[in-house]
Amino acid sequence: MTASRSSIVHVGIRAASPLAITVGVYLFFAGHSQPGGGFAAGLVLGAVITLRTVTGLQRPTNATGLLSSGIVIVTATAAAPLIWGGTFFDQRVVSVELPVLGTVKSGSALIFDAGVTIIVIGLVIALLDGLSTSEPSAIETDAEGRP
Amino acid sequence: MIPVLLAAHLAGIVGASVAGYRSARAGLLVASIPPAITTIWALGQLNSAPQQAFYELHWVQGLGLSLRFSVDELALLMTILVSGIGVLVFFYSTGYFGSTAGPDARFPSSLLAFSGSMLGLVWADSVWTLFIFWEFTSITSFLLVGYKHVEDSVRIAARRALMITGAGGLSLLAGLLLLVRESNTTILDQISPATGTVGTVAAVLVLIGAATKSAQVPFHVWLPGAMAAPTPVSAYLHSATMVKAGVFLMAVMGPIFANAAVWKTVGAACGIASMLWGGIGALRHRDAKLMLAWGTVSQLGLLVTLFAIGSPKAVFAGIALLLAHALFKATLFLVVGEIDIRTGTRDIAELGGLWRAMPLTCAVATAAGLSMAGAPPLLGFMAKEAALEAVLGLAGAEQLVFSCAVILGSVLTVAYTTRFLITVFGPGPATVVSPPRLAMTAPAAVLSIAGIAGYIFVAAPNRLVSNAAIELNAAATYSLIAWPGLKTAFVVSLAILLVGSLLGLAISRQRVRPTPGSQGADWADAAIDGILTVAPSLTARIQHGSLPVYVVTMTAMAALATIPFLSEIPYLQLDLWNSLIEPFLAIVIVGSAIAGTFVGSRLGAALALGAVGLGMSALFVSYGAPDLALTQLLVETIIVVAFVLGLGRLRQSFPPVDTTWKAARIVIAGAGGIGVTLAIAAASTSPTGTPPLADVSEQAVEEGGGKNLVNVILTDLRALDTLGEVVVLATVAIGILALARINQTEVA
Repeated sequence: MTASRSSIVHVGIRAASPLAITVGVYLFFAGHSQPGGGFAAGLVLGAVITLRTVTGLQRPTNATGLLSSGIVIVTATAAAPLIWGGTFFDQRVVSVELPVLGTVKSGSALIFDAGVTIIVIGLVIALLDGLSTSEPSAIETDAEGRP
Repeated sequence: MIPVLLAAHLAGIVGASVAGYRSARAGLLVASIPPAITTIWALGQLNSAPQQAFYELHWVQGLGLSLRFSVDELALLMTILVSGIGVLVFFYSTGYFGSTAGPDARFPSSLLAFSGSMLGLVWADSVWTLFIFWEFTSITSFLLVGYKHVEDSVRIAARRALMITGAGGLSLLAGLLLLVRESNTTILDQISPATGTVGTVAAVLVLIGAATKSAQVPFHVWLPGAMAAPTPVSAYLHSATMVKAGVFLMAVMGPIFANAAVWKTVGAACGIASMLWGGIGALRHRDAKLMLAWGTVSQLGLLVTLFAIGSPKAVFAGIALLLAHALFKATLFLVVGEIDIRTGTRDIAELGGLWRAMPLTCAVATAAGLSMAGAPPLLGFMAKEAALEAVLGLAGAEQLVFSCAVILGSVLTVAYTTRFLITVFGPGPATVVSPPRLAMTAPAAVLSIAGIAGYIFVAAPNRLVSNAAIELNAAATYSLIAWPGLKTAFVVSLAILLVGSLLGLAISRQRVRPTPGSQGADWADAAIDGILTVAPSLTARIQHGSLPVYVVTMTAMAALATIPFLSEIPYLQLDLWNSLIEPFLAIVIVGSAIAGTFVGSRLGAALALGAVGLGMSALFVSYGAPDLALTQLLVETIIVVAFVLGLGRLRQSFPPVDTTWKAARIVIAGAGGIGVTLAIAAASTSPTGTPPLADVSEQAVEEGGGKNLVNVILTDLRALDTLGEVVVLATVAIGILALARINQTEVA
């Protein structure tokens, strides 16, 4: 992988990451009534990870963990209503009064969406991890003195 | 109670495998608890009838997908057989496997899993439930047949059994789907009688399912092979219960196919062929267990014939025989298992004189054998009488054909029964036997005594049989007759016994006979092997791995698929654009796309594609679809990054392509592009209905509680689709990781 050694890029991405993460989280919660949603949020957060990976700031490898927990979350949300006698994918909506934000409506769809987000992030990490593995390992073999 | 019993079976499966690791005996005893509870419950139900037990677990109501059980009279009879014989078989297994070298820990739980599946099958009240448990019995049976899996021949036999019954299951599914489509219900009781071509096709498909499961000619070849299983399994699955599933299905489906002529003709042809060929097979073999297995094919043939005839008397006789056969055939298998364990052989050439060494076993076997032959005073006699009366009571050519077939089949039955009893227990050099095992003799004795008691206390079996028969056919108001007097059927019956036993005696003199080959089984195996060779080569041809060919194929198909739309476009009324930004964006998109095809480097092409995507999302914005635009933008970003990362592994420029192939690709790509454009034009200019936008919006706010329609659809209204999609995403991701790891290990 071509990791940029430019400190300007590094600092820029470090500075931009929190902002981008905020945008991702915002998109996730806004999704119910405005543009956004779990898929978009996952892509934004995935893009942050991509930027940081491409510039060598981090090297995420936990794709399988994210993917499996995401699958568990979505299937559990889908199947949970069966336990209390509902049907598959019964939606529960809960309204909560919070001091600053006012009435916050939330439902099991939000948890389902969170699962989608986690899976999308896992997919992006899997892409990064899978597509970038050959080069470092090739370098490692070089370091060991093999041709 | 139904969910409790099924849950008890599930818990028992777990419990039996846990206990089985400690001691085989403990595993078997734990596994016998759920069937014992079920038997007691079923016997209790006999008195509390006519109130039927019913249970339904909904899954997807819109599709009628639910697990639906209802225990009617026939199901109750089957329950008593399945669970009652089950308990005895578990008890028998403790003796069969001995105390030192017990069975694997998985044996008790597999057997219990089968028992539970069989219960689910007989209780099923919806086609889905029926099919699911039908397949469960095939799979658990596969595990049990292949129990001694270290031997090649056992694995082949298990595979053959699974393939044949599994294929039959698919045929059954197709038949059931046709029925569901015709009568618009998935509930078995409510399916209307099938008529016309659909009825005929469905009847044949269901018959194939029943014939594979009940080992009917020409699908019978798996049953003798399945004798590779331990004898308790053979006694339980391959005589008393699983092979009865096909007959049970025919009994249940009989009223539905009453109008389909093919049900009677094909079913009876199958049944008669099996009855005769099975009887001949039983006379040819030397292995006592195989003799019984072929006898089972023959008996099942008679059952299938009776249910194919479907007259009230035939249905009644069929159910009586179903009960009698389960009792005597299970007994005989258990006896053969005991002989096998105590003498070390099942070959009748080596056996003989066992009446002296194993007197109790001999008595048990004789009582069961006479019941099988249809001799009084036994349950089998009354059942056989009813069957004879049923076929003699038909009219015209039917009477002639069916009577001859049943009489001939019965003569063969008497003959192989005589041969079995004489060669094993009769005169001859006494075989050396090991000490008796009570755990093995007792269950066989219980079943055998049940056959005698059923004759003496005729009211009890009569209640079971006649209630079940009336339920299937309201006109079947008959009862079992212990002593009919000198009626035609009885005289015929005596003649059958006389001729059959003489034939059996004659054949049993010739103790050592060449073992017949199993050509049918060889053909079945050859067919399975053929599938296994053809499938990979076919797959290799279709899934050749050439990415350009895949893309070209898909594009060509997409282009062809748009042809029907071409006539629906009002070409002269097309608006080219709504606002001036659109032609501008179109130029950007088309320009980038064309540039992508001309660029020599792969990186350039990836960036050009990115530009296409960005143009598309701008187009979405101009149409007022910010959600779509946002998603498109983000997806494009990630795709371009992935492309760039992936390109690091490839050559920088595209490999050269020869001219004809290139020309073909250009033509197909052009056709695809034009076709899709025209299809979109057709879709947007001549809609075939009003978009359900208003309904969906209302539903979204009310049910989903959100105002972003797209997202509410994704996470709530059509959440099942989304679930499927994210599972695909996760699978793709895991695939990427796996591919990368293969590469890593190769590099290392």
